[in-house]
Amino acid sequence: MSDPINIRDLAVGSLVILGSGAEAEIVSNPNDGVWLFARYLSSPDDPAMVGQEEMIFAQDVLEVRS
Amino acid sequence: MTMNGTHGYRPGLVDLASGQISREIFVNDDIYAEEQERVFARSWLFVGHESQIPNPGDFFASRMGEESVILCRDRAGAVHVFLNSCRHRGMKVCRYDDGNTSVFTCPYHGWSYGTDGALVGVPYFREAYRSELDKTKWGLVEVAQLCCYKGTVWANWDASAPPFREYLGEFRRFLDLILDGWDGREGQAELLGGVQKWLIPCNWKFPAENFSGDSYHNISHRSVDLVGVGPSGRSRRDMSELNASRKLHVAIPDRGHQTITYVMPKDHQPQAAYQNSPEVAEYFRHCEEERRRRPGANSRLIGAPGEIFPNVALLPRQPRTLAVWHPKSAHQTEVWRFFFVDRDAPKEVKNFLRDYYIRYSGPAGMTEQDDMENWNYAHAASRGTIARRYPYTYEMGLGHAIEDYEYEGLRMPGRVIDLTTAQASEEPMRNLYGRWAQFMEADSWDELMTWRRNDRSVAEAAK
Repeated sequence: MSDPINIRDLAVGSLVILGSGAEAEIVSNPNDGVWLFARYLSSPDDPAMVGQEEMIFAQDVLEVRS
Repeated sequence: MTMNGTHGYRPGLVDLASGQISREIFVNDDIYAEEQERVFARSWLFVGHESQIPNPGDFFASRMGEESVILCRDRAGAVHVFLNSCRHRGMKVCRYDDGNTSVFTCPYHGWSYGTDGALVGVPYFREAYRSELDKTKWGLVEVAQLCCYKGTVWANWDASAPPFREYLGEFRRFLDLILDGWDGREGQAELLGGVQKWLIPCNWKFPAENFSGDSYHNISHRSVDLVGVGPSGRSRRDMSELNASRKLHVAIPDRGHQTITYVMPKDHQPQAAYQNSPEVAEYFRHCEEERRRRPGANSRLIGAPGEIFPNVALLPRQPRTLAVWHPKSAHQTEVWRFFFVDRDAPKEVKNFLRDYYIRYSGPAGMTEQDDMENWNYAHAASRGTIARRYPYTYEMGLGHAIEDYEYEGLRMPGRVIDLTTAQASEEPMRNLYGRWAQFMEADSWDELMTWRRNDRSVAEAAK
């Protein structure tokens, strides 16, 4: 199991990989340690999500790309 | 809720005919629990000031009775007041005193709410809830009514309560004495600094009664008067125009609001004040001259301690402040004191007043310390089995209030006792507890809006 990611450290523009395998770009961070606002760049499970902005739950963030 | 039990509230504990009030209403835990429902869940309560939340996303954690609430400004600029409790399991969603945020996130399971109260984030919404939860039904609980009045924010949990201005009735002019500028311009007040908060071991009605207009207790402040904390280096205050004014108790019986107020004679000239600083003295001399030039009844009024039912205290001048007596238990009250200045006052004036306000009021203020000793020890000495058998007396001035009081063409609303020679009365306290008893006995706002019944009967008589 990988170390948990402190999402409060993630800046706007960071790319993250989610549990579903989707990739998203952070558009704002409320710094509550629980949620991020991000835009989907890819979404293998549900291609309709691409381009949409969603709230991302901290536990869904598996990896930070940049 | 039973109203006839021997343990809780029952008619007769407040006996206005004899001017006697049972100590039970101050120290009885069952009565305290009942008044949370009957008084605080139905009354308009002061929540904060718009100057505390100037920008979208700004919030201030406040209280309404025992409840924690969030005063905030949403992204569109609208002001809201929400119960500070997650709809999922009740955890506080805001644990800071104030700040700016885009969301209020519950730290327990992660539910998240926008600044408009909408539920916007539910962890595993698709997976665990299978997208079946109707998020629109689970936003933060919002107050039933909210009113922004000259910058102050008031809220009410009861949708059937009258609008705030109607709730105030003719008492509004006394609140205006705090919220309008020293020179009489409308709505100039802004909050000075933060909010002073502290706990006192007494029932909330002790300070509420005191600020209703207890001028009888001035002996308690004799030592402060001798020290001379006032802004001219003497006494507590330096309002020498009071010596030429009529001193009145004004009580609005169908609303439960009451105050001391002073009415200056016509054409009264400003008196020297704030002598500890020539610059501040000159500023206030100018303001007082301007105030006298403006039309309106308030140009001849000088504000003094008062109380908006149930738990908001006014002190319009020296110091200019609102206090809220938040109930914590029958035996403990959390005091919040807000201080005000005119927003365009010079910095020197604001700094001068900050120093004066601090040495007068609050937990370390010399005058408020005196008051707290009285309330705290009176409460403690009224809790015992024997002490509870003996009511307090509120007979002073009973039967001597008049209506249609007028002084040199200025009419006062409500029931008035002229204290200029009488010195003191207990009319304001009788008014406070009379209204309190009405709230404890009435099952609905229809019963409490007695003035509407009177208005209807007047209209019918006119027909």
